[in-house]
Amino acid sequence: MNLPERVKEVQNWLKADLAKVNNTFNSVEEFRLKYVGKKGLIPALFRDFGSLDADLKREVGRNLNILKKEAEEAVGQLRERLMANSSQDEEFDYTLPGMPFNRGNLHPVTKTMNRICDIFREMGFGIEFGPEIETDFNNFQALNFPDNHPARDMQDTFFIEDDILLRTHTSPIQIRTMLKKKPPIRILAPGRVFRNEAINSRSYCVFHQVEGLYVDENVSFAELKMTIEVFTKKFFGKDVQIRFRPSYFPFTEPSAEVDVSCFICGGKGCRLCKHAGWLEIMGCGMVDPNVLEACGIDSERYTGYAFGMGPDRITLLKYGINDIRLLFEGDVRFLKQF
Amino acid sequence: MIVNTKWLKQYTEIPFSPEELEEKLTFLGLEATIIKNPADKIGDVIISEIKEITPHPNADRLRICRVSTGTDEMDVVCGAPNVKVGQKVPLAKVGTTLPGGITLKPIKIRGVESRGMLCAEDELGLSDNHEGIMVLDENAPVGTELRDYLSANGVSFDIDLTSNRPDCASHIGVARDITLLTGKDLRIPEIEFTESDEPVRNYVDVEIVNTTGCPRYAARVICGVKVGPSPEWLVKFLTSVGLRSINNVVDAANFVLLETGHPLHTFDYRMIDGKKIVVRSAFDGEEVETLDGVRRELTKDVLLICDAKKPVAIAGIMGLANSEIKDDTTDILIESAYFDPATIRKGSKYLGLQTDASYRFERGADPEAVIYAINRLSDLVVRLAGGSVCQGVIDRYPRKIVQPEITVRFKRVNSILGIAFEPNWVAEKFIRLGCVITNRDDESITIIAPSWRPDLEREIDMIEEIVRIYGMHIVPNAKSMGIHPDFGAAGDYELIEKLRTRIANYGLYEVYNNSLVNKEFTEFGIQNFVPVKVKNPLSQDMAYLRTTLIPGLLQTAKRNLNRQNTDLPLFEFGFVQHYNPESETHAQEFQKFAILLSGYIEDKYWGYERRKADLFILKGIIQDIATQFGVREVSYKSEQHPHFDRLIMADINETQLAYFGQVSQNYLLKKWSIENPVFVLEGDISNLLQNTKTDKQYKELPVFPGIQRDISILVDLKVKVADVEKLVCNKGGVYLREVKFYDLYQRKNIDKRKKSLTFNLVFQAADRTLQDAEVDDIMVTIHKILEDELGARLR
Repeated sequence: MNLPERVKEVQNWLKADLAKVNNTFNSVEEFRLKYVGKKGLIPALFRDFGSLDADLKREVGRNLNILKKEAEEAVGQLRERLMANSSQDEEFDYTLPGMPFNRGNLHPVTKTMNRICDIFREMGFGIEFGPEIETDFNNFQALNFPDNHPARDMQDTFFIEDDILLRTHTSPIQIRTMLKKKPPIRILAPGRVFRNEAINSRSYCVFHQVEGLYVDENVSFAELKMTIEVFTKKFFGKDVQIRFRPSYFPFTEPSAEVDVSCFICGGKGCRLCKHAGWLEIMGCGMVDPNVLEACGIDSERYTGYAFGMGPDRITLLKYGINDIRLLFEGDVRFLKQF
Repeated sequence: MIVNTKWLKQYTEIPFSPEELEEKLTFLGLEATIIKNPADKIGDVIISEIKEITPHPNADRLRICRVSTGTDEMDVVCGAPNVKVGQKVPLAKVGTTLPGGITLKPIKIRGVESRGMLCAEDELGLSDNHEGIMVLDENAPVGTELRDYLSANGVSFDIDLTSNRPDCASHIGVARDITLLTGKDLRIPEIEFTESDEPVRNYVDVEIVNTTGCPRYAARVICGVKVGPSPEWLVKFLTSVGLRSINNVVDAANFVLLETGHPLHTFDYRMIDGKKIVVRSAFDGEEVETLDGVRRELTKDVLLICDAKKPVAIAGIMGLANSEIKDDTTDILIESAYFDPATIRKGSKYLGLQTDASYRFERGADPEAVIYAINRLSDLVVRLAGGSVCQGVIDRYPRKIVQPEITVRFKRVNSILGIAFEPNWVAEKFIRLGCVITNRDDESITIIAPSWRPDLEREIDMIEEIVRIYGMHIVPNAKSMGIHPDFGAAGDYELIEKLRTRIANYGLYEVYNNSLVNKEFTEFGIQNFVPVKVKNPLSQDMAYLRTTLIPGLLQTAKRNLNRQNTDLPLFEFGFVQHYNPESETHAQEFQKFAILLSGYIEDKYWGYERRKADLFILKGIIQDIATQFGVREVSYKSEQHPHFDRLIMADINETQLAYFGQVSQNYLLKKWSIENPVFVLEGDISNLLQNTKTDKQYKELPVFPGIQRDISILVDLKVKVADVEKLVCNKGGVYLREVKFYDLYQRKNIDKRKKSLTFNLVFQAADRTLQDAEVDDIMVTIHKILEDELGARLR
C-alpha cells in the first residue's frame, strides 16, 4: 500500500477508535500511544514521508498534517474529558497501599530515655557516661552507703569480686564526674543498671536509669522542685499534678519521692495507679554533704541536688505494658508498635 | 509495718479521717496505705440469732432455721452442716446485694419459702472459707450490721518504712509523728505493777563479754505465771496488724514490740542453767537449733545469748528451741537489750534470717527504751498471766550510747531549702520530736537528738526534719536557675544517638537483650577474650557478662522464629565487657552496635519484589555509616571462622570498625536449630567515633557537561570488582570523575567459569567540554589494560 492510501486508512482507524475510547486514563493513553506516541502510527507515516517523491509530497504532506492535528486534538479533548470527570475513572485504584518506607524503630525505652535527656538538655544538663562494672567505692561508699548498712538491702547487688560489682544505679557516674570536675556541674547520667532480683512481670535483673546532678553555690531544694516540675509538665503534659513527699536515700538529704497524678484517670483512681491516683516516677533530693566531701567538694560552699528515674517503668506506664519482660524479649510484633 | 488507728488513738488524739491520715502520714515520709477492710464491701448483712432448727420436709441435707434479728423473726433454708441453736450468724435478707453481686430474691427451696440466707465467709468476701456458716462471737449484738461490728476494730495502715526510721516501727513512734501535725500530747502508758521481795539477783546475773555487739542488757524474772490463751482484746489487736496469737506471754512481748518498737525476748527460766546470762560471740562452726526448728551453723560474726552452759538465743535475731516458753512454763526471764546494728545485720545476713527483732536492731533500737520496755512487758505479763515480778532489774550498760549535740544554723536551713523558717517554729517542732535544746541564739539552735532517732546525727538531718514537718509539697518552687559555659556538654551522646537513629532508619528494630549470659555466649565469634564472671548470679544461664552482642541477637531471632516471626531486621546497642586485671574494675568495656538480618528485610509490596537479607546489605550499612560519620578509609577483607560461612572484616587503619558475615549454617542448626540463613554484624562505636570527621567541605559543581561510557567485560570468577576499578582508575586519566560498578551477570549464556561485570564511567573536565574522540582514546587504553592484566573480554 502506498503512503497516501495508508494515510487514509489511518484516518479511518482514528475515527473508528475515537468512538471506542473509554473515559479512563488507561484507555486514553492507549489511544494516544497508538496514534501520536513516539512509536505510534502517525510518527511512522512521517518517517516514511521523507522518502516520498517530491511531486506527491505537497498533497500527502497536507493530509498528513491534518491527520496529525486531528489526532492531537482528539487526544487533547479526551484528556480534558478525563480531567473533567476524573472521578469517573473507575478502573483507577487509589486504594493501593503506598510504598512502605522505614519500617525500623527505636526501642520504646530508648525513646523514653531520649525524651528525658532532651528535656533536661534544654535546661542546660550535659550528658555523662560511666562503666557498668563499678567499684564498691563509686557505687556505695562514696554515696554514703556504709558497710553493713540496711540501705544496701534496697539494692540487691551482683558482685564480680568483693569490692567490684555491677552498678545498681547510675549514681556512680555522679561520683566519677565530681571527682574529675569542679563545680558548677550540671549533668545527666543515663545507662543500664543491674539488680540481683528474680525475673518476673514486674522486675528484671537489668534495667535503665537516668539520673541528674546539679552542684553549685546556693543550689536549693526550691530549685530542685522547679526543675522537676518543669520536667514532669513537659514529659507528662501540662495538666499533670505533681507532689513531693519525704523519703530516704543515703546519698541525698533531704530526700523525696515524686509522684505525678495518674495520666490515665487524672487522679480519680484506676487500675494503672492501683486506685491511688498517683504514680511514683522518681526519687530526688539534696546531695548529702558526705557525698560532696567524698568527692573533695567543700560542702559548706557548695550544695546540690540529684534526681533519678527509671525509663523502663515510665515506658511501661506510658504505653500500658503490663510485663517488663516484653522489653527484653525482642518480639518484632511488640517492637513494631512504637 | 502495720499500724491500727484504734491502737494509735490510745497514744494521741487523731482528729483525721482514715483518708486524711493516710495522706498526712505519707507527706511526713511515712508512706501509708489503708488496708482495705473486706467488711466494707459487705452489703446490709445483719447479725441474727438462730432460735430454732427444724428438718426440711423434702430434703435430707437441708434444714429450716428460725432466726431472729431482735425486731423480726423469719425462716431461712440452710444447707450448712454447722448450724446450732443460739449461734450468732450473718443474715442476708431478701433484697440484700452480696459482694459477689448477687441480689437475694424471695425463693422457694424444695417447696419451703426462704426469706434470706445465712452466709459463709466466702459469700461475704471475707475469705475463701466455705466450710460452713460464719459463726460470730456469743456476745455479737443481734440486729446490728455486720459491717459495723467487724470494723469496730479500727482502720489498719501499711506503712512502707524507709530504713532510716526504726522509731516508727511502733505505734508510739507513729503516734509521736502524728503529734507533729496536731500539736496534741503523746500519752505513754504508765507502769503499775509491784515487785515482790525476792531480789532478782538471786535468780540471774548478766555478763557481757562482747560489749561492742551488746552495749546494754537488762533482765527481769517473773515467777509463777500461768501460760494460757490471750484475752480477746489482745487477739483482736494482734489480728489487726497481721499477727497470730500464740499464748499470753508471747503475745504480751509482741504487743510491747509493736507498741514501743523495742524487741524483747522471754525465756523459760527452768531451762537457764547456772542462774547466768552470758552475751558472747559464737564460735566458728558452733551449731544451734532456733525456735523455728532449724539447725544453724554459726560463725564468730553471730552474737549469742548463753546461760552458764549453753546458748539460749541468737542475740537480736531469734531465740533457741531449748528455752522457749511452753504451756507449762511458770517462771520466765525477760531480756531487754540494745544490740549493735552492724553486728545484728552481719549475723542476720549470714544466717539469711530476718525477724521483727533483727529488723529493728539492725536499723537502730532505742538504747534508752530498754528499761521502760522491760517494765511494760512485766506489767502486762502480770496482768495477763499472773505471777510476781522479782525485785529489781539487772541492767548492764558497759558502753553508753551517747546522743550527739547538733547545731542548726538558720542561714544554712535557708540556703539548703530555699525558704526561711521562723526560729520559734523550728524550736517548737524540735521539742516535739523529742530533742533537748541546749543552746539558742539569733543565728542557730543547738539540740541533743532523742535516743530513738539514730538517724539524727548532723545539721543536714535536722534540716530534713524541718522540711518534712513543714511539708515538702508546700515549699515554693524557685523561679529561675543559672547558666554557665560548662553546662550542656553532651560528649559522644549526640553522635551515638545519631548512629542509633540512622540504623533504625535502615528499617531495623532496636532490641534490648540481657547483659548477663551463659558461658557459651561468651565463646562465640572472632574474639578471644576472658569474660567477666558474676560471683552471685541468678542462675548459671546468667553468670557472665556478654563479650559480644551477637549471641543475644541469635537468641532473640530464635525466640521470634518460634513465634512465626520470620522476617527479622534487628539491631542492638550495648556494652560488652572483657576481664582485664589492669583496670580499676578489672574489666574493660566497649560500646558495640550489632545487627541481625534474616528472612525478608522489606514488607511484601505490590510495587516491587522485596529483598531478602544478605551480606551486601550489611556491607551497604557499613558503607553508609562510614559516609555519614566522615570515615574515609575503610578497608575490607575476607576471613575464615568456624561460626561463619562468610565473614568480612571492615577496618579503619588496621583497627577493627566492624565485622559482618553469614552465620555458619551448621552452627545455626546445631546450636540454635535455626534453618533460615542469618546475617550478623558487630561494630565498635568508640572506634567509629574516634575516626569520625565532621569537617565536610563543599566541592564546586561542574560547569561543563560530562561524557558517560559503559564498559562490560567478561572475566574469570576470581577477578574482584575492586581490581577492575583500580585498573580503570589508573588508566582513566585526569578527566575520569567516577567509576560505578552496577551489574553482575553469571552463568546463563556465558561460560560457567566466567562472570560479566558492567561499569559506568563518567569523564568530565573542569574548564571545557570534552570531545568524544578524547574519551574514545582513553577507553581504548582501558580496554587494553583490562585485557592484558585480567584477561578480560569485552562484551
